Amino acid sequence: MNNNANQNSILSRWFSGIMSNQKAFAGSCIILLFIIIAIFIPSFIQSPTDFLGTPLSPPSSEYFFGTNGQGQDVFAQTIFGARQTLLVGFSAGVLVVIIGALIGGIAGFYGGRIDDVLSLLINIFLVMPGLPLMVILASWLPPSPGTLLGVLVLTGWSWNARVIRSQMMTFRNRDFVSAAIVSGESNIRIIVIEIMPRMLSLLASAFIGASIYAIGAQVGLEFLGLGDISTVTWGTNLYWASNDLALLTESWWTFVPTGLSIAIVSFALTLINFGIDEVSNPRLISERMWRNKVPKDLISHGITPASNHHE
Amino acid sequence: MSNTLISVKNLSVDYITDTIPIRAVRDVSFEISSGEIFGLVGESGSGKSTVVQAMMRILAPPAIISGGKVIINSENIMTATESDIIRFRWKRISIVMQSALNALNPVLSIREQIHDVLKTHKGLVGKDADDRAKELLSLVDIDYNRLDSYPHQLSGGMKQRIVIAIALAIMPPIIIMDEPTTALDVIVEREIISKIIDLRKKLGFTILFITHDLNLLLEFADRLAIMKNGKIVELDEVKNIQGGGEHPYTKKLIGSIPSASGTRQKGLLSKPDSLNFSKDPILEVQNLEKVFQSPGLFNKNKLIAVNKVSFKVYKGEIVGLVGQSGSGKSTIAKLVTRLIRPSFGSIFLNGKNKKVTESRNVPLEYRKTVQMVFQDPFGSLNSVHTVYHHLARPLIRHGLKSQGEIFPFIVDILEKVGLAPGEKFADKFPHEMSGGERQRVAIARALSLDPEVIVADEPTSMLDVSIRMDVLEIFAKMRKEKDLTVLFITHDLASARYLADRIIVLKDGSIVEENTSEELIQNPVEKYTKQLVRAASPGWLKSLDEISENKGGKNG
Repeated sequence: MNNNANQNSILSRWFSGIMSNQKAFAGSCIILLFIIIAIFIPSFIQSPTDFLGTPLSPPSSEYFFGTNGQGQDVFAQTIFGARQTLLVGFSAGVLVVIIGALIGGIAGFYGGRIDDVLSLLINIFLVMPGLPLMVILASWLPPSPGTLLGVLVLTGWSWNARVIRSQMMTFRNRDFVSAAIVSGESNIRIIVIEIMPRMLSLLASAFIGASIYAIGAQVGLEFLGLGDISTVTWGTNLYWASNDLALLTESWWTFVPTGLSIAIVSFALTLINFGIDEVSNPRLISERMWRNKVPKDLISHGITPASNHHE
Repeated sequence: MSNTLISVKNLSVDYITDTIPIRAVRDVSFEISSGEIFGLVGESGSGKSTVVQAMMRILAPPAIISGGKVIINSENIMTATESDIIRFRWKRISIVMQSALNALNPVLSIREQIHDVLKTHKGLVGKDADDRAKELLSLVDIDYNRLDSYPHQLSGGMKQRIVIAIALAIMPPIIIMDEPTTALDVIVEREIISKIIDLRKKLGFTILFITHDLNLLLEFADRLAIMKNGKIVELDEVKNIQGGGEHPYTKKLIGSIPSASGTRQKGLLSKPDSLNFSKDPILEVQNLEKVFQSPGLFNKNKLIAVNKVSFKVYKGEIVGLVGQSGSGKSTIAKLVTRLIRPSFGSIFLNGKNKKVTESRNVPLEYRKTVQMVFQDPFGSLNSVHTVYHHLARPLIRHGLKSQGEIFPFIVDILEKVGLAPGEKFADKFPHEMSGGERQRVAIARALSLDPEVIVADEPTSMLDVSIRMDVLEIFAKMRKEKDLTVLFITHDLASARYLADRIIVLKDGSIVEENTSEELIQNPVEKYTKQLVRAASPGWLKSLDEISENKGGKNG
C-alpha cells in the first residue's frame, strides 16, 4: 500500500460517482464520441481543402453534407474542424483551471499581503471587458491556434481564480488543515494533497465551464475573421459560409452541420456539469426520488405525508 | 395520572432512498399527561428530533410517516388536512427549535417577529400587539426596551429567552423544546432551565423536552423515555431511572455522567498514585496575549482574546483549561500549538526559550514535540484520505519510520487507542466510521509522533455521551504508559475533574483561578468558579432558585 494507490482511489471513487449519474454519463458519451471522431476519422477521408466538385452542391450520396462555396467537402470540413476546435477549447479549459487554482489557491491559503497582491491582479482581470480585449488581442497578434489559446486563457482565468480563492479560504481554517499543519506538513503539500482533492467537483465544473466558454469564444473570434483562416476549424467553416453568402444562396448545408456540432458539444458539456452538481449535492436527487415514490395524493404543501392518512 | 394530552401510538418514520427506505423511527409509543414535563433522551441519530418533527408534521423530504397515530387533544394529527394542521400549529402546540440561536430572523427586529406571530394567530396589531409583546418579554425577564433590538445585538441566552417568549405567544397548552440549551454555556443554560420551570409553575403548560443530555433531564423532568436507533428502550419515572434504570443502555448512560460533586468516580485507576512532578516545567506560558484586529483600513475594533495568561505545565501532568465560549481557551490551544502567533508574550518548551513571536516558521522539532487533538472529529480528518494516510504522513514527514515499519506501527497504535483490528481500520475512510472511532483516529495521529505534549481541544464535546469517558480514558492511559503531558481544554468542569490533575479556570481571556482539581471543586475561591461548580453539580436547580431569589430576578 502506498501513497499513489491511495491518490488513485480518490480519483477513481469520485469518477465512478460522477459516471453513475445518468446525465453526466450521457454527456460524457457524446463528448467521447466527438473526440474519437476528431482523432481517428480524418485519416480515412479526403482532405477538407481539396477542390472536389461543383461549389455549393447540396448533400448527396457522394458528398454527405454537400460542398461549400470553394467546392470543398463539408463533411470532411466538419470532422477536421472538430480537431482543432476541441483541442484549443479543452486546452484553454485545462489551462484556465490550472492558472485559476494556482493563483486563487495561493491567494486563499496564504492570505495577508500575498492575498492582497494576487486579489488585486484577479480583480483587474475581472473588470477588464473581455470581448473587446479578445478582439483587439486576436487582431493585433499574428493569427495562429496558439494566439487564440493565449487570448482565451488570458481573458478567462480570473473568474475561476476568484471562485477557487474563496473556496480555499473556507478550507484554510478547517480543522483537517490545522491538523496537517500541526503534524508538520509543508504548505504546498497541504494545498495539493489535502485541499485540492476536496475541491474536485469545483475544479471539474470549472473546467467544463471554461471549456464551453473557450469553444464559444474561439468560434466567435474565427467567425469574425480574427483566427487563422487558412486552418480548418468550426469557426472558419462558419466564416467561409458567411463569406460565400450561404444564406443568400440558401445553401443551408454549409453551416448547419458545424453549427449543430457546436450546439451538441456545448449541450453535452452542460449535461456533465448538471451531473457533477447532482453528485456533489445529493439532496437534489433524493428530493426527486421522494417525489416519485410517495403517492401523489399524500403530498401536500407544507406538511409531512403520512401513509395512513385515509384510515 | 390525570388526563392524557398527547398520545403517540406506534409512530414510524421512513426516509425514502434509492433502494429500500431507511426507518428512522420504529413503533414509538408514549403518552403525556396534562401538566407533565416529559423528557425524550437519545444520542445523535437516535431519532428523537424526528419524532417531534413528525408530531408537528414538519419533516422535510425525503421523509414520510409510514405508520402510527399521534393524538393531541383527541385529534388525530395523521388524518388531519393541511389547513387543520396550520390552524393547529402554535395555537395548540408550539416548538422551540434545536438551533434556537439561528431561529430568529436576523433582519427583523424582535418587535416585528413577535408581532408576526400575534397577527397570524390572534389578529392582534398595533398597540394591542405591543402590549402583549411587553407581557411576553417580562415573562422571560427581558427589558421592554429590547423590543427594537435585532438578534445580533443580543446574547445567546437572551435570544433563547425570546424564542421561548415567541413560543408562549398564544399560550399553547403544549410546548415542545428540542435541545433548547445545547448551544449555550452551562451557567446560562441553568438559568434558562430554571426560567422554564418557573414559567411552567405560573402558566401550567405541558413540556415535551428533547435532549442528548440525560443529566440535565434528571434534574427536572417527571418522566423520561430513552431512545436508541429509533426505538424507545426505556420509559419510566425519573426517580426509577435515576436509580440506574433497567435497560443496559440506560445503565451505560447513567454511568457515563461525570460529576463535579461527591467523591471522584472510578476510571481514574490509570492515574499515578503520587502526583510528584519534576521541578522544571515542560511547557511554560508567560504573559501570553492575543489581540484580533478586524480587517479593513478604517476598522479599529479590537478583540482581546487572550489577556496576559501565564501558566506552567509539568512533565506527565494533565492540566484542565476550563472556560465557557469566549474565554479564550481555544485561542490558547492554537497559540501553544503555534497555529497562530501571539501578539505578545512567550512560550517556553523544555526550559529552552522558544519565543514564538520570533519566527514565522515553526521548526519541525516543535511540531514533533507538541501535538493537538481537535474538537470536531468530522472536521479534523480529511474525508478524501484513508486512516492510513492520516497516520502515515506525519511519520514520513518526520522520517521516524522506514517504509516497511510504517504499516505494523500504525496497526499497533490503532489498537492502542481501541480500534481493533488495526489492519481493518487502516483502510477505512473517515465517513465509514462513527464519531467516536474518528476521534480515536485523531488521537492516534497525535500519538504517532510520540510527542511530549498533547493539546486536546474539547476532544469529547462532539461525541455521544456514552463514549466520552472511554475517549478520556485513552489520555489517562497514555499518560501512565508514556509519561505524556496533556493540556486538556474543555467547557465542562466535571470532565476536567475526571481527567485532570490541576484545573485552570478561564474567563474573558484571563485566568480566574488555578488549583489542583479536587481543591478547586471542593473549595472554590472565586465567585465565578463557585458558579461553575454549582452548575455542574446535581441538584443545581434547587440551589439556583435560592440564588435567583437573592439576586431579585436580574437577567443574564
